[in-house]
Amino acid sequence: MLNEEPDYRLMRRVALGEEDAVTELYDRYCALVFKLSLQFLSNNAEAEDAVQEVFVRLWKTADRFDPRKAKLVTWVMLITRRHLIDRIRRKTVRPKQQEFTEHHEESATDVPLPSNTLLHERNALLWEALQALPEMQRIVIERAYFHGFTLREVSRQLDAPLGTVKSALSRGLLRLREQGNKDIAAQL
Amino acid sequence: MTNETHNYNQLLELAVLEAHGLLDPIESDLFTRSFHDAPVSIQEEIIRMQEAFAVDTSFLPDENPPAELRKRVLQAVADTADQEAQRLAPLALIGARASAAQTQYGSSKNITLWRTAAVVLFGVAVVLAVITLDTQRKANRSAQLALNSATNTALNELVGHKFSEFVGNPYCQVTRLERASGDSAGYLRIALNERFGNGFVMGIDLEDGEEIIIQGTTTDGTVIELARLTADGPIVGQDFEIDTALIRGMTITALDANTGKRWV
Repeated sequence: MLNEEPDYRLMRRVALGEEDAVTELYDRYCALVFKLSLQFLSNNAEAEDAVQEVFVRLWKTADRFDPRKAKLVTWVMLITRRHLIDRIRRKTVRPKQQEFTEHHEESATDVPLPSNTLLHERNALLWEALQALPEMQRIVIERAYFHGFTLREVSRQLDAPLGTVKSALSRGLLRLREQGNKDIAAQL
Repeated sequence: MTNETHNYNQLLELAVLEAHGLLDPIESDLFTRSFHDAPVSIQEEIIRMQEAFAVDTSFLPDENPPAELRKRVLQAVADTADQEAQRLAPLALIGARASAAQTQYGSSKNITLWRTAAVVLFGVAVVLAVITLDTQRKANRSAQLALNSATNTALNELVGHKFSEFVGNPYCQVTRLERASGDSAGYLRIALNERFGNGFVMGIDLEDGEEIIIQGTTTDGTVIELARLTADGPIVGQDFEIDTALIRGMTITALDANTGKRWV
């Protein structure tokens, strides 16, 4: 049987605004939330702001945590990812739909990723792993995950059925994870 | 490929996307429904897979948050909590205002009047808070904050301290019943905790001395008496226990112990 009751109790206490509980939540997950924020955002200051916003959002949504559906770490990272994607979507630097369509007509491989150098350096391993994916999987991950386009937008950009986009994205993310595990194993 | 396999693959696909925050709200709700309808073994598989994604740091930058961020984040949460609490001032601060008035003016007659008014208003607020908890899940945030302060104490006095374990608890399935005849007021809230095999029935606005039998009908048609509730006040509550194996699929009904009139 899954041992999720302590997580549920913690989130109940967080929902009730108990300071100790919020502190415990922060101490458990701040490193993960910060690292994920760094993966998405261009500098440390932005990542720190994001961490602050994520924990406020976690407090606000604490009563919606359902331990029958997910582990607490999954919930925390889901809220974090949603927040980071929302943040990217709010940014005006996101490439326009037309720009993507034009690129796709020429060559889908030419679509640029966010151009921040630090972001690229930090995520060098990830970019490398992305290049190893089949083209469709790589493109949908870049657009949905790093540019913050909705799946419907990606579907329109690529003129591909929504189901195809979802499948490619899901398979691509699974392959990335497998690749990540191999890289770690190789370093040991 | 069978439909079952197809659905299984689709569910796993959606689980991956959901874990990455890539489903829109409607699709996320659909995933949640499919997840709850899936066999337990598949649910556990999905939970494990999503957890593996969540803790996977293989492509994450190897930097840790600065120590000073902790204080900043905790302060931001505390500030937001304070702002939310202020929105509840009309509900949660009644007692505090009465107390402040007592200290400042010290008039015993006024104090008694204020206390009486506060108790009456507080009773109304308690009932509203309970109904809000049941009917508006989105209002849980405010209601829970209210529960955290004075409302929680008042409810405990009225229906016992176990009540709060059955509010907003995801392990609980909640049934609400009203009189089938619809000829007078009254409301029953029955919460069953499918994980720990206990439950709590609360009655609001029952007739004085009214005795209600709460029954559960299992999937094989067996009727079990879960609890008897006797109304000795406007809000009454009682906890009870039940075998967890019987809860899934159970239908809850109630009837008046004296007249046999049903609650639906």
